[in-house]
Amino acid sequence: MNDAPYSLYRLKRTPFHERVAPLCLPQNWRRWAGCITVGSYDLGIDREYWAIRDAAALIDVSPLMKYLVEGPDAARLLDRITPRNIHKMAIGQVFYTGWCDDDGKLLDDGTVTRLGERSFRLTSAEPSLRWLAMNAVGMDVTITEATDRMAALSLQGPKSRAVLNRCCEDGLDTLRFFRMAPNRLGGRSVTISRTGYTGDLGYEIWMDAADALPVWDAIMAAGADHGIVPCGILAMDMARVEAGLFMIDVDYTAANHAWIAGQKSSPYEMGLGWTVNLDKPGYFVGRRALEREHREGSAWRLVGLEVDWEGLERVYAEVGLPPQIPGTAVRGSLPVMRDRQQVGYASTSTWSPILKKYIALVHLERPHFEPGTRVEIEITVEHHRRYAPGTVVALPFYEPEWKKK
Amino acid sequence: MANPDIIVIGAGHNGLVAATYLARAGRKVLVLERREVPGGQLAGDARIGAFATRPIHAGGQLRADIVRDLGLANHGLASEASADAGAYLAPLPDGRMLRLAASTDAATLDSIRALSPRDAERWPEFVRFMNSAAAYLEAGQATPMPRLANADLLEQGRPLAALAWKLRRLGRTDMFRFMRVLTMSAVEFAEEWFESEPLRAAIGAVAIHGVSIGSMSAGGGYVLIHNWLNRGGLAHRGTRGGAQDMVNALVAALRARGGELRTSAPVAQVLVERQVVRGVRLESGEEILAGTVLSDADPRRTLLGLVGAPELPPEFVWQAQSIKMRGSVAKVHVLTDGQHGIPGGTVVIAPTTKYLERAYDAAKYGQVSEHPYLELTHSGDVVSIHYQFAPYSLRGGDWQAMRATLERRAIATVSERFAGFRDSIREVRSITPFDLEQTWALTEGDLNHGQLILDQLLFMRPIPGWSDHRTPVDGLYLCGSGVHGGGGVSGVSGRNAARRVLRVSARG
Repeated sequence: MNDAPYSLYRLKRTPFHERVAPLCLPQNWRRWAGCITVGSYDLGIDREYWAIRDAAALIDVSPLMKYLVEGPDAARLLDRITPRNIHKMAIGQVFYTGWCDDDGKLLDDGTVTRLGERSFRLTSAEPSLRWLAMNAVGMDVTITEATDRMAALSLQGPKSRAVLNRCCEDGLDTLRFFRMAPNRLGGRSVTISRTGYTGDLGYEIWMDAADALPVWDAIMAAGADHGIVPCGILAMDMARVEAGLFMIDVDYTAANHAWIAGQKSSPYEMGLGWTVNLDKPGYFVGRRALEREHREGSAWRLVGLEVDWEGLERVYAEVGLPPQIPGTAVRGSLPVMRDRQQVGYASTSTWSPILKKYIALVHLERPHFEPGTRVEIEITVEHHRRYAPGTVVALPFYEPEWKKK
Repeated sequence: MANPDIIVIGAGHNGLVAATYLARAGRKVLVLERREVPGGQLAGDARIGAFATRPIHAGGQLRADIVRDLGLANHGLASEASADAGAYLAPLPDGRMLRLAASTDAATLDSIRALSPRDAERWPEFVRFMNSAAAYLEAGQATPMPRLANADLLEQGRPLAALAWKLRRLGRTDMFRFMRVLTMSAVEFAEEWFESEPLRAAIGAVAIHGVSIGSMSAGGGYVLIHNWLNRGGLAHRGTRGGAQDMVNALVAALRARGGELRTSAPVAQVLVERQVVRGVRLESGEEILAGTVLSDADPRRTLLGLVGAPELPPEFVWQAQSIKMRGSVAKVHVLTDGQHGIPGGTVVIAPTTKYLERAYDAAKYGQVSEHPYLELTHSGDVVSIHYQFAPYSLRGGDWQAMRATLERRAIATVSERFAGFRDSIREVRSITPFDLEQTWALTEGDLNHGQLILDQLLFMRPIPGWSDHRTPVDGLYLCGSGVHGGGGVSGVSGRNAARRVLRVSARG
């Protein structure tokens, strides 16, 4: 089918490629962890975005790195790597967490799922096998890379539960937020976690790569009259900003990717102070540095910025234009000013269709990160730098009542 | 002892030196030794054989300032090296003997002149340079090394500047010679000085002694200076009364200052809570708490064994795993009827520099040298053979199976030079690298707690950035041979560690 030399240059395909490729009409492909994945299934992303917020959007998230951590010391290893208290996890519970180097700077973030007493699944954005192995010295634990042999789908949106209830053997009504349970879907064994990257009601479905296509087909069939839409990662990118969720190497630089110390971020700076459990016993990676930062306070904080629409209109009106807002999330650094002094920067900004607001994830220096602070964000209007006023807000921007219900 | 201020793990000579310095400063010190006897490598083991309770080292002396500071002369230690140290002797192919003293006595010059008049002329200058280089190294070992990325120039800058000034004061010629010799191989260094092959080989042997490098490996020059410093020349020079006197004096000095020594008290675990040391747990289950713990065990054993990797930062664990131990020395003790025919002093079997390199070649491939480099010493009927190379990791075999081969090759190699040796043998007992690990708790049988190679010296010993005896665990210090100043018998790392601890506590 493919010539060997060609395949050398080919990106990895996810287990759903056969289904998603014919649907990807504009050939809008994106690269994700070495895989070719759908950016959008249409020329615009409105339909996919609104499926997330109003119906059900089916997203192929197979490129996530997945590891199985098993053995008597499995909990001990994850408790050492992450700042959360893994020993307190119930079976079937999912933790979201970042993890740090020993200087307390974020290396990556992902989820830990307790599959059993001595068995966990870890997801990450970056390859983590070496880090896991380095931290497992002296422990009785086995670490298995499952990235390629497992496929993953994210079904997000207010109708996602109804869709799954229709195609799963066990109903999803009792599955609580950030819990996981085994199930059968389309005749295949899967595990379903109530998690996602959109801030909406949503689930992630984990399965053997070999079961990928039947599971996709079953969900699509079940969702047909619930308005299910295959969704690319561009629409998800808008939704995740609304949900106040950040992305590695966009909103923070992984400590092992940073060229200089100033590029690194701590969990406290990224608003993940709630994941840092300094009271848990024993050593964990970064403890010393995190204790110090907790004591002395952080220099930075990730917060939200809502740009005033009137201010935008005014700036554009100066050149005779209505506000020009890009149709996707913009991953570019924009200076944030206060009293003409730079006090931080935005790392991702987007138009929020549901809030009807221009919003940004911004990193502000102390003390400018307090909610209510008035700042200005740099925008480029007809090739000229302008500043649009806005207000610092707590994250998330958008949280529907059904997210955790 | 209830509630000691400080626990020292291991009663090797460095542990005892550190403990006695600390006791002298008024601390309540408890030394815990896993074996029945104190002394570490200076104490033999009765299980190896009734006669073979000899120390691993043929000689050894504590630095003069340590003997003085701890008042060891009052506890039975002769303050000077024994007078009958003997010479450094190399049998020549024609049956004669090359006889070298670390001085310029007539016998030495005559012996060299028989091989090369030119070499005899150069010998006095060589001895002068080596003594000067050794004295400089001694000053370097007494100087705290900077912590690389975390260097505290306010604290460490002055001693380092003083050390740099001392280097300059060696004079232009010696300064450059010294800097060059550190990285040179034994062969390169010896060839630069001398033309006679037996002389080059005899010197080259000391430049690889105890370390897993060959005569053509970089860094032999450093080892030569290091060993010259510890020996006081080429020949071993024990303290009068031998190793046991040294151990007895240290133990007596410790006790005289209120320190306590417990033998047969193996530590199973260093207790750590949130990167702060709390004390130790013995194998018996007994817990002893203390705010400061020094470990005389090697760094790998201390950090990955007694503390445990789970309590340490991952990058540090990676580095601790990467410390090169690689022991490749075995000892063969031979009980004879006294008619062994081996002269007193230190006898080296290393006919050529290529012979040394070939002996090392075997070790590279996990084999025991068929024609080993040997160093022989004897006291009365017992001949002790230092056998190099006998690598810890054997390819396709284990040390129980190789023991007989080791002993046979040692005896054959000695018998070739000393005809009466074989018939004089009554009993043979050997110590393999495996025994060194099992009985003396030396990881991979490394006598020096980590190879004395260039990337593991000075500010890089035991781990770059951690040369100042500290560890990522507050209150836990390393005082054994594996830290800066260590390698061989000198007490330097024990002394330095105690100073470090006292300096930290002085700061509050």
